[in-house]
Amino acid sequence: MEGLKVWRLSSSIARPSNLRQLFGLGTSSGLVRCLDNGAAAANATNTRFPSRNRRASTSTSTSTNTSDREAVRAIRLKKVEQLRSKGTEPYGYKWDRSHSAKELQEIYKDLNNGEELDSESHHVSIAGRIVARRAFGKLAFLTLRDDSGTIQLYCEKERLLNDQFEQLKTLVDIGDILGASGSIKRTEKGELSVKVDSFSILTKSLLPLPDKFHGLTDIDKRYRQRYVDMIANPEVADIFRKRAKIMREIRKTVESRGFVEVETPVLQGAAGGAEARPFVTYHNSLGRDLYLRIATELHLKRMLVGGFEKVYEIGRIFRNEGISTRHNPEFTTIEMYEAYSDYQSMMDMAEEIVTQCALEVNGKLTIDYQGTEIQLQRPWRRETMHNLVKEVTGVDFTELEDDLKVAKDVVLKAVGLGLDSKDKSSIEACPSLGHLLNEVFEIFVEPKLLQPTFVLDYPIEISPLAKPHRRHAGLTERFELFICGRELANAFSELTDPLDQRARLEQQVRQHNKKRAEAVSVTDGTGEQKNIDEDSMYEVTLDDDFLTALEYGMPPASGMGLGIDRLVMLLTDSASIRDVIAFPVLKISQ
Amino acid sequence: MDSFVSEPRPASYETLSNNVLKRERRARERQVREEEKKKVTTNKIPENQRQQVANDDTMDPTQFLSNRIKSLALLKESGVNPYPHKFDISMSITEFIDKYRSLYVGEHVENTEISLAGRILNKRSSSSKLYFYDLHGNGAKIQVMADARHSDMDENEFCKYHSGVKRGDIVGICGFPGKSQRGELSIFPRSLVVLTPCLHMLPRHAITSNSDEAQSKKTRNHSWTPGITRNPETYILRDQETRYRQRYLDLMLNSEVQKIFRTRAKIISYSRDFLDNLGFIEVETPAMTMTAGGAAARPFITHHNELDMKLYMRISPELYLKKLVVGGLDRVYEIGKVFRNEGMNLTHLPEFTMFEFYMAYADYNDLMDIIEKLLSGMVKELTGSHKIKYHGNGFDSEPVEIDFTPPFRRIDLIEELESRANLSIPKDLSSETANKFLLEACEKFDVKCPAPHTTTRLLDKLVGHFLEETCINPTFIINHPEIMSPLAKWHRSKPGLTERFELFVNKRELCNAYTELNDPQVQRQRFAEQLKDRQLGDDEAMVLDESFCSCLEYGLPPTAGLGMGIDRLAMLLTDSPNVKEVILFPAMKPQD
Repeated sequence: MEGLKVWRLSSSIARPSNLRQLFGLGTSSGLVRCLDNGAAAANATNTRFPSRNRRASTSTSTSTNTSDREAVRAIRLKKVEQLRSKGTEPYGYKWDRSHSAKELQEIYKDLNNGEELDSESHHVSIAGRIVARRAFGKLAFLTLRDDSGTIQLYCEKERLLNDQFEQLKTLVDIGDILGASGSIKRTEKGELSVKVDSFSILTKSLLPLPDKFHGLTDIDKRYRQRYVDMIANPEVADIFRKRAKIMREIRKTVESRGFVEVETPVLQGAAGGAEARPFVTYHNSLGRDLYLRIATELHLKRMLVGGFEKVYEIGRIFRNEGISTRHNPEFTTIEMYEAYSDYQSMMDMAEEIVTQCALEVNGKLTIDYQGTEIQLQRPWRRETMHNLVKEVTGVDFTELEDDLKVAKDVVLKAVGLGLDSKDKSSIEACPSLGHLLNEVFEIFVEPKLLQPTFVLDYPIEISPLAKPHRRHAGLTERFELFICGRELANAFSELTDPLDQRARLEQQVRQHNKKRAEAVSVTDGTGEQKNIDEDSMYEVTLDDDFLTALEYGMPPASGMGLGIDRLVMLLTDSASIRDVIAFPVLKISQ
Repeated sequence: MDSFVSEPRPASYETLSNNVLKRERRARERQVREEEKKKVTTNKIPENQRQQVANDDTMDPTQFLSNRIKSLALLKESGVNPYPHKFDISMSITEFIDKYRSLYVGEHVENTEISLAGRILNKRSSSSKLYFYDLHGNGAKIQVMADARHSDMDENEFCKYHSGVKRGDIVGICGFPGKSQRGELSIFPRSLVVLTPCLHMLPRHAITSNSDEAQSKKTRNHSWTPGITRNPETYILRDQETRYRQRYLDLMLNSEVQKIFRTRAKIISYSRDFLDNLGFIEVETPAMTMTAGGAAARPFITHHNELDMKLYMRISPELYLKKLVVGGLDRVYEIGKVFRNEGMNLTHLPEFTMFEFYMAYADYNDLMDIIEKLLSGMVKELTGSHKIKYHGNGFDSEPVEIDFTPPFRRIDLIEELESRANLSIPKDLSSETANKFLLEACEKFDVKCPAPHTTTRLLDKLVGHFLEETCINPTFIINHPEIMSPLAKWHRSKPGLTERFELFVNKRELCNAYTELNDPQVQRQRFAEQLKDRQLGDDEAMVLDESFCSCLEYGLPPTAGLGMGIDRLAMLLTDSPNVKEVILFPAMKPQD
C-alpha cells in the first residue's frame, strides 16, 4: 500500500536524549550483576528478565574486566598454539548433541538435589558457549549456554581423562564453545548439571566478552556488533526468535485463506506505489539507472490483472530517508491483495493477523507496550477521520465550505492555542481541504490513538491509489490502523478505473515537480537554505506499464500493507525499530 | 554461499543475442503465416459467430480502445459506475468445479443461487438470446451459458447488455449451476454484470475458434503439472518479450504460467517447513551494507542521502548469517533477494532469490544428507515421483530425465579431475608450478580460460569441462581446494583442500555448501590471498570484511552452511530453460 509514509511525517528523528529515555538507561546501572561470584551465575541465567530490563544481563568475564583487549587476544592466541602443539585442534569440525540445555532441564526437572543418574541411558552430550566458570582444587563448575538455555558442567578431576582437567583450568576461557558429554547430576545446591566424562574445545574465542553493555556509546556498539549484544543478553536473541514466530504466523494466517506468496522486483525502472525518496543505483551492463522499490503495490496489482485472486508478498522495502527509532532505510512489510473484496473485509483481515500473532508470541491479547496496556480483543474501534477530528478538536469538516482559506481560519481559531510554530506553518501550507483535514488529524488525533483503531475514509487528495468512496464525494474507501499512536497498516478498496488512476498519478507527478521546482529556486536564490526541501529533490515518473495493466482490467479488490517491523516492536515491547532489526543501518562510526 | 560462479559471460552473451535474433525472426514469420491462416479460416465460421468476430476481432486495436473509452464515458454520464466497488462471491471457480463436477449431463440445479466472478476469455453467441462465455479465475475455467429465458432482464435489455460485454471483461454472475447437453459444467446466469471492462483487445489463439476448442480440450487432458515438460509454442501469447514485459497478459492468457508461479511458491514453502521442522528460525539480514562480502561478484552501489553514505546491495547474506550464529542462534536461514551487477543471460539476472541456512555443530557431510532429503522429498511431493523431465538444452532439443532418488552421486573434485583427464596435479596448488601445470592442461585440452590466469580460474574451467558436464542427475562435487574457497574450512584429513561441496543438476550449480571456516587467523590469511588474485586482475576475488573477522574472534561454533538458488530450482521443476520463465517481472533491456 502507499503506506507508512504518515509515520514518517509525524515523527521527528530521535535525538540521543530521546534514546536515553527509550532504553530506560537511567535505571539500568544498578541492575548489572557480575557473574564472577560463583553459583549465583548459573541461577541468574535461569531467571527470565522482562525485556525492558534487559540491562540486567549476565556479565560474562572473569579476569578480563580491566585487561586490555589486545593483551587478552595475545594470551588466547598463545593458547591456540599450545592446543595445536598438543595435537588438539582448537576449531573443531562437528559435535553430535543428544540434547539441548532446555530439553535436559525439562526431562530432569524432578530430579532431587544431590541425586545422580549414572547409567548408560542417562549419558548425554551437549554443546554451547561457556558463560561462567569457577574452579577449585579438583572440581570445576562451568555454565554452558546454548540456543535454548543454560546448564552447568560439573567437572571432577578424577573423572576426566589424562590432563583434561588441567586443560580445562588453563586453556578454557569464558566465551569458548565447548562440547561435553557425561551423566546427569543435580548438585546439593539444586543445580542440574552434566557430570562431565569428556569435553572438547570446539571453538577457542579470542576476544573477551564485555562485562556490561551500557552507556550511550555502547548503544551504538550494541547495534553494530549485534552478536556481542546477543551473547551478553540472551533476551536480545529472543526478540529475533519472536520475530521469526510472527513471520510464520502471518504466513500461516494468510495462506490458510488461500493467499499465494509471490516475489516482485526490488530493482525497478521507476519507483512507484508510494510517495518517498527512492535509492538509486546503476546497472552496468544495461547501462541505466535503477531504483530500489519503495512499495510492492503496483506489481502486486498486476498479479490481480493476471488472474491471481489472492496474493501476498513479504519483503524488503527501501526508502532513502532519515533514520530514527522508528525508521530504518530498509524495512519489511507484508502487502496483500484480494480480488472481489473491499476495505471492510480487509479490516477483518488486519484484526485476524495482529491477534493471531499476539496470541502466538504472548499467549494473550492484553499486552504491555512501553508502560501502556493495549487491549487487542476484537472488534476494534472503527471510526471515520472526520468524526475523530471532530471529537478531538471540535472542528466538523463536513460543515466547512469549499473555501480553503476560511477552513484554515476555522481550524486555527479552534486549535490555535495548542500549536507550535512548526505545526502552524504546516497547517498554513496545506494545498487542499483534504490535506488540511489530514494535517489536523496527524497533529491532534494520531498521538491519542493508543488502543487499536481503524481510521476510515481518507480524503481523496492524499490517497492517489484508493477508490472513491461509494457514498461520500471527496473521500476514498481507505483505512489506516493505529495502535499506540502509530500507523501499523494502510489499506484501501483499490482504484480500478484506469482513466481516473492516470489522472490522479499525473496530478501527483505535477505536484511533485512543482514542489521540486520551488525547492530548486529556493536553493538557487539563497544558497544557504539547501536543506529546506531536500525531501522533494528526487524525480518521480509515471509508471505507464502499470496504467496499461489497469486498462486490461483489474477486478474490484482490496489491498493492505502492514509494517512487520512495527508489529514486532509492538509485540516484543521494543522501543526502537533497531531493537527488532538484526543489523540496522547506522551512521558511519567516528 | 560463495559464488554461483559466473559463466563465461562474453561467449554466452553472443549466443544469447544470436538466439534472440533468431527467435524474433521466427516469431515474425510465424505471425505472418498465422494472419494468413486466419483470413482463410474466418470464412468457415458460421454466420452468427462471424459477426461477433467481425465486430471485435477485425477492428483496429486503437479503434477498439477509443470505442470502449467512449462507451465508458457515456455510462459515467448516465450515472452508472462502470467500476463497481464490490461484488460478493459465494465461491471461487475452483470451488464451483469441485462442488458440481459430478452433475449429470443436462442437469440444472435451478433452486440454487451462486455468485461467481472472473474474466471472460471467450465469447460466442448462437443467437441474440443465447451467449456462451468462458469464465476464468485463479487458474480454472467454466462455461457461462447466458440464456435470455433465465435472465432477470427482458429480452431487449438482455440482448443489448450482452452485445456490449467484450472478451477480456471481468464479470460477476449470479445464477445456478448445471451441465449443458454437451456435458460442459456451466453456470446459468440470472444476472451478469461487468465489474471491470477490458479496454484493450486481447491477443487471440492463432488457431481458428473450432480447433481452438479442440486445442483447449487437448490441453485440459494434458494439464501441466510440475516435473513434466511444457511447450510454450502452444501458448496463446507466444512472443517472449511481451510475455515477460507484460506478465499479466502471460498469466491471463497462458493457463500454465500461473502454475509455474504456484509451483515456485510451493518450493519456497516446502523449504521453509522443512527447516522449521528441524528447529531452524527464519531471520532477515540487511540487503544494503557497508561492504559487499560473502561472495565474489560485482555489487550494485547506492547512496544514502541524509547519512551521506555509500551503500552496497548485498551479493550474499553469508557473513551476516554467520554473525547471528556467533550471537547464539544455532540454526538460522534466510530466503531473500541477492543482487549482482553483472550481465544477463539464460541463467543470470541482476536480482535473484537465495536460500541460505547455517547449522551449528554440523559439518558438510551432515548438509549433504539434509539437502538430499530436502530435494528428493520436495521433488516427490510436487511431482509425485523422483524423476523429472527437463528441456535442459532448450525447447528445441529433446528433454532429459533427471533422477532425484537419493543418495546423490558424490565425486571428489581433484581425484575425479585427475582420473578423467589423466593428470597428476601438483599437490601445492598455491605454487607457481601448479599454475603452470594447469595452464598447460587447459591448452592441451583446448579449455578456454580468459585472463587473468589465476590457478582458481584455471581449475574452475577444467572442472567445468571434465566434471560438470557429467552431472545431469544431482551430483555432489566435493573437497574443493582452499584457493577456490576462501570461506570454507580446511579439510580435516586432506591437506590443501576444504570441506566443501557443490551440488550440480543438469550441469549447473544448484547448491554450494561447506563446513564454515571459523579460525579467525586462517580467515584473515585467506582474505589476504584473495587480495593477491584481485591484484592480478580478478575483480571477482573476495574483499576483506574486517567486521566479519573480528566477529569470528568472539567464536563461531563448528558450523555448516548451504546456499541454494531458488530460481534455478524453480527452473528445473517447471521445465524452464530460461530463468525469466520463473521470475514474475524479470529485468529487461530498456525498450527504445
